[in-house]
Amino acid sequence: MNQISKTLRKHALYLSHKCRDGNLQSVFSCLDIVWTLYDRIMAWSVETAQEEDRDFFIISKGQATLALYPVLIEKGMFSLEEIGAEIGSFDSRYCIQTDLTKFQGGIENNAGSLGHGLPFAAGIANANKIKGSPSQVYVLCGDGEFCEGTMWETCIFASAKKLDNLCVIIDDNDSVGAMVDMGSFVRKLEAFGFDVSEADGHNMEELETVFRALRGRADGRPKAVIAHTVRGYGSPTMTEHDIWFHKAPNAEELELLTGEVDAF
Amino acid sequence: MRRAFLNRVADMIRNEPDTTFFTVDIGMWAIRDVLRDFPERCTNVGIYEDGMMSIAAGMARRGLVPTIFGIQPYLIDRTLEQIKMDLAYQKLGINVIGTGAAVDYPKYGYSHYCAEDAMVIKSVPGCEFVAPGSARQFLQLFDQSYRDGHPTFFRVSDHPNTEYDVDVRFGKANVIQTGTKATVIAVSVLLDEVMKVCRGQDVTVLYYTTLEPFDRETLAANCPSGKVLIVEPEFEGTLLYDVYKALPGRALQIGQVAFPREIFRNYGTYQEKMEYYGLTAENISEKLKALAE
Repeated sequence: MNQISKTLRKHALYLSHKCRDGNLQSVFSCLDIVWTLYDRIMAWSVETAQEEDRDFFIISKGQATLALYPVLIEKGMFSLEEIGAEIGSFDSRYCIQTDLTKFQGGIENNAGSLGHGLPFAAGIANANKIKGSPSQVYVLCGDGEFCEGTMWETCIFASAKKLDNLCVIIDDNDSVGAMVDMGSFVRKLEAFGFDVSEADGHNMEELETVFRALRGRADGRPKAVIAHTVRGYGSPTMTEHDIWFHKAPNAEELELLTGEVDAF
Repeated sequence: MRRAFLNRVADMIRNEPDTTFFTVDIGMWAIRDVLRDFPERCTNVGIYEDGMMSIAAGMARRGLVPTIFGIQPYLIDRTLEQIKMDLAYQKLGINVIGTGAAVDYPKYGYSHYCAEDAMVIKSVPGCEFVAPGSARQFLQLFDQSYRDGHPTFFRVSDHPNTEYDVDVRFGKANVIQTGTKATVIAVSVLLDEVMKVCRGQDVTVLYYTTLEPFDRETLAANCPSGKVLIVEPEFEGTLLYDVYKALPGRALQIGQVAFPREIFRNYGTYQEKMEYYGLTAENISEKLKALAE
């Protein structure tokens, strides 16, 4: 695993430890995707974070918000020390889910309830079309989240409105497999009119290649990337033990898991 | 009222390029020209209220002014979490226009009845609820609030007042008359019925078309008796909290004429329902007499 992947995971471990809460399996699953978008794909920087035509990153799988803070820390938007000192405390603006109203740039939506981020992102993309803005919208969804009806309602809308400025990323770590047999996301989304690609969700070069290819296609079709991922990727303990779906590390576990990330 | 609204929408879409309109497959004939001429901003979007609410929130996030038109129970009961999370929590404003006020579809059963609408919306802080009593009032209230940055819900009734069509202001109650024996809160389309009883009587009549935010000041300044009769075409108790908060520390006697909080399993006509549930001048008279004595 490359150095930035390790750094991001260690930030997430530290913040979860400080917050005494978190969904780290889900966070480790999507960190490489979020970093690739912010570092290599999106028209976004700290300086342009409130500009009209910036790209948008919408987190629909809100339980993975702790994946967003480490990326924004490394991009210079926030500081690890600041978030670590206050995350989860009564008056903090940082917690397990985001609250848009507490930020001036950097956070684009409130997450938490599944099935909301994708339609919200489609609304932004539709507005971009109406306004003639070049802004692209990236929305990170969980595979399990696609059990929600609003996800498929939005697929109809995005296709009907020809939102080729919308890119849906499914963090496909087979969470849904424990619930239902969802079948093929590729076939389903293609049937809805999406331009669908697949990638290894932990391989930044492969992700970059796929995102760059999709970004250039103004063909009237909304984009989707099925990113194949592993829950807890970067820590064997976390991958093997599902208790880490919702658990914060204590001081001893923080040391153990940090060591695992370093050695991965 | 519905026609007035659709004409206003057509005007808005033609002249205000930051406005958008989604209809849930109703009212298309009246606005067929703008549907044809402005397909990007004026769309028969399909039948999916909850996803549409989030999509509209996303459009508001980008500075547009979305308006949605549909049937009240689907716009409100089905979408409560979208209203809470995507609109109120994120402080994003859209306009939601609902037809089918309370029992305006009297033969369609519980799926189409929505006497709970104002009560539901008033439970989500930051939302606004408007219930005009006439087409003219709809236009006044819409024009005063549609760009105010809040989620604003408009209840469009097919049974407006015909005798009393006063000018109204968003967020402000009208003092129709003043008296000493009781204060009657007349809501929306029930003003005519209230005035059949109260005209010439020694009672105060306050007329409310904005139910959230509720104008507490006007009530506080016009309730010398501490006796309040709430006459509202919604579930009983919808305004009870506001009345209590407007008159703190007062010994109050409160009577109510409203729809009971129960599942309506009957059909028939609108008028039959209003009579069955006592939203009539006769019942208002009886309740007022009991209160004022």
